[in-house]
Amino acid sequence: MAASIAGVFEENLKSAVETAKVLVVGAGGIGCELLKNLVLSGFKDIEIIDLDTIDVSNLNRQFLFHKQHVGKSKAAVARESALTFNPNACIKAYHDSITSSEYGVSFFKRFALVMNALDNRAARNHVNRMCLAADVPLVESGTAGYDGQVELIKKGLTQCYECQPKAAQKTFPGCTIRNTPSEPIHCIVWAKHLFNQLFGEDDPDEDVSPDMADPEAAGGAGDALKVASNEKGNVERVSTRSWSQSCKYEPEKLFHKLFHDDIKYLLSMDNLWKKRRPPTPLLWGNLPDAVAGCSRNDIESVLKDQKNWSIAECAQIFADSCRNLKNQFESLKDDDHLVWDKDDKNAMDFVASCANIRAYIFGISQKTRFDVKSMAGNIIPAIATTNAIIAGVVVLHAFNILQNNLESCQTVYLRPKPTHRNQLIVPEKFLNPPNPKCYVCSPKPQVTLCVDVNSMTVKDLEEQVLKKTLNMVAPDVILDGKGTVIISSEEGETTENNLKKLEELGIVDGSVLKVDDFLQNYELSITIVQRLVPKDGPDFDVVADSSQLKPKEDKAESSGANGASDQDDDLLEVVEEQNPNFTTADSKKRKTAGETDDGISKKQKTKDVVLVVRGEI
Amino acid sequence: MKFAILLHPSEIVAAVGDCGTCIQFTSYKKMVEINTTELTEDEAELYDRQIRLWGLDSQKRLRKSKILLVGIKGIGAEICKNIILAGVKSVTILDNGVVTDEDSCSQFLAPRDQIGKNRAEASLSRAQQLNPMVQVTADSEDVADKPDTFFGDFDVICATECPVEQLIRINQVCREKSIKFFCCDVFGMFGYTFTDLQIHEYAEEVTVHNIASIQDCEGPAKKIAKVDPVKVTTKRTATFVPLQDVLDVDWSSETYIKRLPKTDCSYFLMRVLLRFRSKCGHDPSPKKRQEDIKELCSIRNEVLAKLEVPVDKVPDELFSHVFAELSPACAIVGGVMAQEIIKAVSQKESPHNNMFFFNPTKNVGFVDCIGH
Ligand SMILES: [Zn+2]
Repeated sequence: MAASIAGVFEENLKSAVETAKVLVVGAGGIGCELLKNLVLSGFKDIEIIDLDTIDVSNLNRQFLFHKQHVGKSKAAVARESALTFNPNACIKAYHDSITSSEYGVSFFKRFALVMNALDNRAARNHVNRMCLAADVPLVESGTAGYDGQVELIKKGLTQCYECQPKAAQKTFPGCTIRNTPSEPIHCIVWAKHLFNQLFGEDDPDEDVSPDMADPEAAGGAGDALKVASNEKGNVERVSTRSWSQSCKYEPEKLFHKLFHDDIKYLLSMDNLWKKRRPPTPLLWGNLPDAVAGCSRNDIESVLKDQKNWSIAECAQIFADSCRNLKNQFESLKDDDHLVWDKDDKNAMDFVASCANIRAYIFGISQKTRFDVKSMAGNIIPAIATTNAIIAGVVVLHAFNILQNNLESCQTVYLRPKPTHRNQLIVPEKFLNPPNPKCYVCSPKPQVTLCVDVNSMTVKDLEEQVLKKTLNMVAPDVILDGKGTVIISSEEGETTENNLKKLEELGIVDGSVLKVDDFLQNYELSITIVQRLVPKDGPDFDVVADSSQLKPKEDKAESSGANGASDQDDDLLEVVEEQNPNFTTADSKKRKTAGETDDGISKKQKTKDVVLVVRGEI
Repeated sequence: MKFAILLHPSEIVAAVGDCGTCIQFTSYKKMVEINTTELTEDEAELYDRQIRLWGLDSQKRLRKSKILLVGIKGIGAEICKNIILAGVKSVTILDNGVVTDEDSCSQFLAPRDQIGKNRAEASLSRAQQLNPMVQVTADSEDVADKPDTFFGDFDVICATECPVEQLIRINQVCREKSIKFFCCDVFGMFGYTFTDLQIHEYAEEVTVHNIASIQDCEGPAKKIAKVDPVKVTTKRTATFVPLQDVLDVDWSSETYIKRLPKTDCSYFLMRVLLRFRSKCGHDPSPKKRQEDIKELCSIRNEVLAKLEVPVDKVPDELFSHVFAELSPACAIVGGVMAQEIIKAVSQKESPHNNMFFFNPTKNVGFVDCIGH
């Protein structure tokens, strides 16, 4: 081990490495590499935490794990493997969530340094707050494909993880999904909604039938609409779920409704098709069996995933998966429902076939099951080399931090291709100072919540705003000035408030809520601005910098299809150039900041990024 | 520039590039022979996350490639790990050295209780465990004793820990036999890589904004054109020079004297360290830290004087960072090297032509083209 061999390190680094207690959060792609580098460098007191268990698709890069470890705790196996590199190290493994209340500020204060190797924003936000509260330096890192990033977060010295707003989840307007898809992703989102309508959680925002209220269809289409609804009687008013149940999920009937009748109905809204290619309804008994674009297709491919399916094949797969999902669904207890999972064969087959049938109908290029899985499951590709390089940089940062050389810990980017200055591993020129208006690390954190106080309930405030959007774990909320307790983190204390509207508890335009998350040691003031929910708009907006509060389009949009992302490799806000959905106003700026040339002026610009997290209930 | 595009970009045959150069738009598959052996479902599952990045064709090329790794200390172990995980056909580890205490700074493939045993053999078991689908073999002979014919069995040779004379010889053999040649080293926290692919054809994806026509399926078709950013695969060629040319660069020549002020210390530090290795028969040793720093200073003076480069190009302070092979530096340089091997084998994306340096004092890793 480097630190235990005299003459390898300079003396101060040697003793710092040998005595420092460090925490690694995450034992995935970066975590495995990190743990290896730490024990080989001579760190002796390491703790590692990960909630996850090992999956086969991890093994191409998470090299501390082998096939026989599939299903076991990542943290525990990583510890065992790393100990074989250095049997003298002391490694403590936790198979647990870092957001658990057991790991409070005092837990974090025990470490000289925390290194994040996480795969999701919620946990990153949480560790960020814990390290700010404990005043422990945090090295944040992430990779996505060939891109990677390493960043020091130190209270008062640098930006925190939440100083700059992160891109919000991309959503699509309902009428694009339901009436006028133009890209494969629209069809995939529709297919996932359809899955939920038939077998999953019933969400009225995920309706898949034609949207008659489409503003584009209005005017001129009225007669056509009337005729159509007369013809159909009240079919449109029955939920997709009950209709499917009434016809026992018979694939042929489902197919006819979804891909013929509904399409005919859409065609009747003729305003929609004045400037668009109209969709083509399909008939079950008469489906094309030629494969589109077969020149590109590997004819002899044995991997079904990688083939383009003909529409006839799609219909067959649709029928098979429908039957299987119906059986799965019906074997559940009363109110239970299926949850879409990219790794469930039938769920994935269903979405891939439906998305492709719909794409064909609308003249949109088709995607293989493999590609649909990437988009529907929001999979971030991951490779060993990128993780290795990033973990190497993390440990070099750790060396500098332990020598109190924080000024040398500029953010470092790994680029897929050399920059115009030929740099592949690119350090910024300066540390990024904290954003004085940050709603997390500034001295008096505050945000504005734009919401309709007559429609939002206290439960929504807690779950959607405080927990989901603002990433709190156990918030207490008091109405400022009156002292009313709105939400208590103490179990049961404020249950009676849950279903009340904010207004019923005296929360109105201009009210200020004092929110305190004890675990995160985080206090936040929330100013309420009354606003009616706009059509097709979010139920609420959280605005970090109130001076920027004016109605404008939220330009921030980000990764992939909606639904949880599968970033099982430590994605940070890096720009995936291959993925157009990744380019966001915000991440572009972050990227510019990565180019060191004229660092400062560009970095200043990133300071006026406003906002913004939008939420939907 | 406008031209019609069929539904699939792979069908485009040729177009004129922006700067007058002829870029061929061809199907990547047609460029080189198609490997008809398909991936198994198991392979597809194991390699899923990387296939999503570099594609099925790259994965098929990887699984055909036979790789010789000369030297398996810290950086060798990193490269070995990365290419075995990536799923090449075979890796042969060649090293006649024995496992030392110093190896524990970064050599994670050889168990600690194997000190004194042959390093290649000691590393075999853990290397194999990384991926049972790759054939891994150990060879404990000295690379210097290997006849030129030995190298002919490999598609790629990556040499580490070798004296520069041996690197030049292997590079020469690779040129004669059209084998892709790489070499690299880590000294302390510093590292470099060198690549000689001779004449290398590769495919690169570029995004082109074009008018795509849409097929019509029914009725009196209205043709609706829309602008679509499409990714097209372009075929390119890169030419490399042998290591000898990199070392023979005349820094007092007009071209290079102009480059000198902008040139980082790393190239010169590499020259000093390679000279130290040849002259002393070992790398700077932690056990003789002070002594070797002195020796490095004097070698630096001699090497830079010969190159007619000012001595302060390589300041003394740098020498405190060159002892042993440190794990984070091995991870960084070994990661970059392995990715270059993967790129070269899969003939996808532009290779780093021809050197990469990692300078730990600035946390910067950069590509430099030297000796062309
Ligand atoms: Zn902040």
